[in-house]
Amino acid sequence: MRRNGVFLALPTILWLVIFFVLPLAVVLVFSFMSRGRGGVAIMPFTLEHYQRAFGVFFIILQRSIGLAALTTIVCLIVGYPLAFFISTRRRRIVRQITLFLVILPFWTNFLIRTYAWRILLGEEGTINGVLLSLGLISEALPLLNTQLAVLIGLVYGFLPFMALPIYASVERFNFRYVDAAHDLGANDVRTFLRVVLPLTLPGVLAGCALVFIPSVGAFVTPDLLGGTKGLMIGNLINKQFGGSGNMPLGSALSIVMMAVVMISLLVYVFANRREAAA
Amino acid sequence: MTTYDVELIDIVKDFESGGKPVRAVDHVSAQIADGEFFALLGPSGCGKTTTLRLIAGFEQPTAGKVLIRGLAMEGIPAYHRPVNTVFQDYALFPHLTVEQNIMFGLQMEGVNKKEARKRASESLDMVRLPDVGARKPHQLSGGQQQRVALARALVKKPAVLLLDEPLGALDLKLRVNMQYELKALQRDVGITFIYVTHDQEEAITMADRIAVMNEGKMLQIGSPREIYEHPDTHFVADFIGETNFIAGALLDQDADGFGRVRLADESVIKAQLSQTLRSAGGAVTVAIRPERIGISTLQQRPEALGTDVDSGEITLLDALLVDSQYIGTDTRYTVRIGDESDLVVRVQNTSERDNSAIAVGQPFKIFWRPSSATVLDR
Repeated sequence: MRRNGVFLALPTILWLVIFFVLPLAVVLVFSFMSRGRGGVAIMPFTLEHYQRAFGVFFIILQRSIGLAALTTIVCLIVGYPLAFFISTRRRRIVRQITLFLVILPFWTNFLIRTYAWRILLGEEGTINGVLLSLGLISEALPLLNTQLAVLIGLVYGFLPFMALPIYASVERFNFRYVDAAHDLGANDVRTFLRVVLPLTLPGVLAGCALVFIPSVGAFVTPDLLGGTKGLMIGNLINKQFGGSGNMPLGSALSIVMMAVVMISLLVYVFANRREAAA
Repeated sequence: MTTYDVELIDIVKDFESGGKPVRAVDHVSAQIADGEFFALLGPSGCGKTTTLRLIAGFEQPTAGKVLIRGLAMEGIPAYHRPVNTVFQDYALFPHLTVEQNIMFGLQMEGVNKKEARKRASESLDMVRLPDVGARKPHQLSGGQQQRVALARALVKKPAVLLLDEPLGALDLKLRVNMQYELKALQRDVGITFIYVTHDQEEAITMADRIAVMNEGKMLQIGSPREIYEHPDTHFVADFIGETNFIAGALLDQDADGFGRVRLADESVIKAQLSQTLRSAGGAVTVAIRPERIGISTLQQRPEALGTDVDSGEITLLDALLVDSQYIGTDTRYTVRIGDESDLVVRVQNTSERDNSAIAVGQPFKIFWRPSSATVLDR
């Protein structure tokens, strides 16, 4: 009887092998091959792409991790109070509307929303226009094509992924524990640090993973908002698979990026385990 | 001037509910002495838990004052009040061990870890639950969690311990055991207990004094005996134990606090007036406990009470049996009196007396002392 289970899983296994394991293997093999005419991978094997990934391109890798980390932190700082605000509304309808507002942006294409930020941040954009007309600044601020613009775009795009898991955690949180902590002499700060935060940590960790991992590999946002100063590893990889690219280099960069993601996932799993054991 | 551990002075608490203000606590005043076991008793929604939360500092009164050890608590947050709470669902921190839960309050006071650990272990011994310090709350039974909650609150040596239906979640047998244990513990530590419950038996068994609450009002404060034997109001008489109510009209009152009441069948009985009786005449209710009524054909006779029936020192009414029920320790009779109302009579089952000796429809007399019956406002 148990053997039937294998057949049931077969379509999934086939799907995973064809669309996940094989492409991954191809990328892995490509990353060790040389660049041929038109950017294709040819023999012999070489380590030069990895040397470049950790050499001239290291600064971009660093920037990607840095921006992704910063995005995660800002999302956490904004998302935690937001999730708390939503889940502590007394009236159900208020909770539903605010949650709906968080999810609403998903109804529009991400590309279009990111383009909208170009209009907001541009030299003759909305933000500069308002500031200029109010006389707060005398010449347009360079907002677009900066790392700040990328950060704003990433935070904007990924905030729901932080807010929603935290919301789920806070929703389950029993506020009687706050009474109990106060009762035992803990002020608001200590109550938060010793009771509220530890008990909502699973949501925080899940949110961080959901924001950090896609942020590292983001390429639409930095492409549209970052210009050359905001270039991230995702853009670099994207470029290598284009017309005059370098597929082996792109593959090597992909593998490095996956390693970064993998490490952060391991940190997540480890932190979660410790949380569960504690 | 006597200082009380807790003084409630004309407390009002309004809540907003669906846009309308709802009065949860309605002009409540009480004085609770040092070392007293004080029960707040009432049905759910009567304002007893809100009163407790006002003392703890989780809620602020709309009007009135809370004094703890003579100090006004206005503007003092819960974490600075010398009280601790045992919550109904215990509210033990699930991410901390039992020991860490108990140490939590001490660490907030700045007690060092070593000392806190020592006191936590002493406090676990006190609630007779050693060796569970390393466990998580969810690994304990309900009764054990209840003890941990108690230890966590008592380890802070509060002036007053507030208990919000602490035994509500336990099964009957454990609850009865814990009642005795809690009472003994309270005597040992000498801390004032304010105990919220909807269980009248629990309040009567444990408390030095009971405050009966309904619809936000404190109806009566007194010892369990006073509350049970001399209820001031219809609600208190009805809520605590089983009571017979007989409608009548108050004819007159004497200087000793007794009055004569005429029943619907024109018979006149004498009964003690309640402390808070407002009506000086007219429609009233006479309350009498089922176990205070005797039945003449059984071995209980009015003469056995040592008083003279003719002198009016005993109330005697004609009755006939409608139904009888054997309920273990007692037999519970339903009898009909002259005004066609039914009363419940409880007679203890003993080896000398055959309580099944009377038959349905059989006439007899029922009797009680006038001091056992109370005249209440209708």
